[in-house]
Amino acid sequence: MKRFIHFDELARDSRFIRQNSAANNLMAMLPDDVNTVVDVFEKFDPLIEAATRGTAAEPLYDEYGPAYQLVVLNEPIRADDPKLMERLRLRLHGILVGELQALEGAARSLWDFPEAPWEFKMNMARQAWDEARHVQIQEKLLSHVGGEIGQYPESTFLFEAACSEDPAMRVAGVNRGLEGLACDVFRDMIRYGEAAGDDIMKQAMDFVLADEITHVRFGSEWVKEFTKNDPEYLKRTQDFRREVDRRFSFGGARSSRSDAAIRIAEQDRLDAGFTQAEIDEIATLSAGGPSKDTLNKAVAILRERHAARKAQATSSQNAAE
Amino acid sequence: MAEIRLYPGSGQDERTGFAPYSAFDIPADLRQLHGRYDVEAVALRVRNWRYAEEWIMMTLGGWVATVPELPVKTGLGKIIWDGAVAADSLGKRLPELRCGTRVGQQGSLAGNQGFANFIQELSAPERPDLTIEKLAGVFDVLKPHLVKAYQKFNSETDQICDAPTIELLEDIIRKTGKHIAWGNAILNELCKTDADKQRRAARIAQLTAQLAACGGVTGEEAVVSH
Repeated sequence: MKRFIHFDELARDSRFIRQNSAANNLMAMLPDDVNTVVDVFEKFDPLIEAATRGTAAEPLYDEYGPAYQLVVLNEPIRADDPKLMERLRLRLHGILVGELQALEGAARSLWDFPEAPWEFKMNMARQAWDEARHVQIQEKLLSHVGGEIGQYPESTFLFEAACSEDPAMRVAGVNRGLEGLACDVFRDMIRYGEAAGDDIMKQAMDFVLADEITHVRFGSEWVKEFTKNDPEYLKRTQDFRREVDRRFSFGGARSSRSDAAIRIAEQDRLDAGFTQAEIDEIATLSAGGPSKDTLNKAVAILRERHAARKAQATSSQNAAE
Repeated sequence: MAEIRLYPGSGQDERTGFAPYSAFDIPADLRQLHGRYDVEAVALRVRNWRYAEEWIMMTLGGWVATVPELPVKTGLGKIIWDGAVAADSLGKRLPELRCGTRVGQQGSLAGNQGFANFIQELSAPERPDLTIEKLAGVFDVLKPHLVKAYQKFNSETDQICDAPTIELLEDIIRKTGKHIAWGNAILNELCKTDADKQRRAARIAQLTAQLAACGGVTGEEAVVSH
């Protein structure tokens, strides 16, 4: 068995549909400009459409066009949202595939880095079990809200972004970047559980968050250990983690901004070993994307153009008949 | 009535009144001193077993991403952790056997080059259509072999002097039994057709022969090759 695999090689059963992650990656690079956001999503329209066909995301695509992802990512989960269940299912499905990729990332660290210290292997083995349980938990929570595996397409951009071939960067990417994002998302889901009176959701997410804080702590400790006495290596590792955090901010949807869909879980991150300076830096990185106002305007234009294209296609078809 | 002495004095008639421990028949300690292995021999075997447990953990870790069946991915997560705990507990036993002072890579040692080669062959399957070959190697061949080796050792080592090794192996045997049952259930589910049953049987035969040729985990085990 070779060391290191490409994200295309992540094995899935027949329920899963893969989504091209280019749009996810682009989100992190978008400026606060309506026209640019519209142009980029128009360009990726065929890829986005292809990934939604035959999935529960298809009606969303039909309604919003390529902007459906912006609608999904940009809005917080609110108990009084008329489209709550749809958003919940989409969010939980995203969490489930994120946990799956975290499981694969942690487990691969055991094989990819055979010479790593024994204590590192113990931590990664423990994380593999924890992430496996998280997949099982998210599968049950997805079922709890009427969803099922494979209902929405899977983007592998988490694995793609975080799984470096260098051990310090792997733990910086997976344990501090990906798992840090998980802390933000799970704190948000606990808030939703409290607001909605959903005790099953709240308690399960609370346990999962406790595990994730432990995993971030593993990452904080191993980055220090792997890079000790090598400031240049530490700098490269920190740069890698910054890039991962920038991608995981979804253009500001996860940030400290007042219009963020998912806020940065500052206290949980402090508990996990992030310094206040690092948290402030993530907030700055995340705040650079398009504002909610920009995204809403882009969504309106993309939705209008999509509807116009659909109407034109229908009229051409009728004329041909 | 004469008072019973609570503490012995220096004279023959100054003994305490307590009956000697050996006067009790229950519970009878039937264990006998002297096992088949001395301290060095036990330490060597612990290193061999640790090598196997560590490589199982690492191999399963590599496979999680390349098996498509979700229950297999999640089931392996727990078995990976149990493997890490087994290797860790074996490693912690080593300093108690005058072998090193800390747990680490030095704790693991292949029984011989043949067993190291066996492990490489066991971990070779990569493609997502090879779940049967992957699981048959670990759950039909290596883990049952390890259970037999651990049980044999426990029956042969000094039951009193080496009780800590026996205790930790008993725990590993109990958990490994669960792993084998899980693997068997999964493989039975995956091997419904004659062709798939044949794939499983062929993998078992191939790896069992290789294991027999190298003498198993310690290089000294009797392995029945069908």
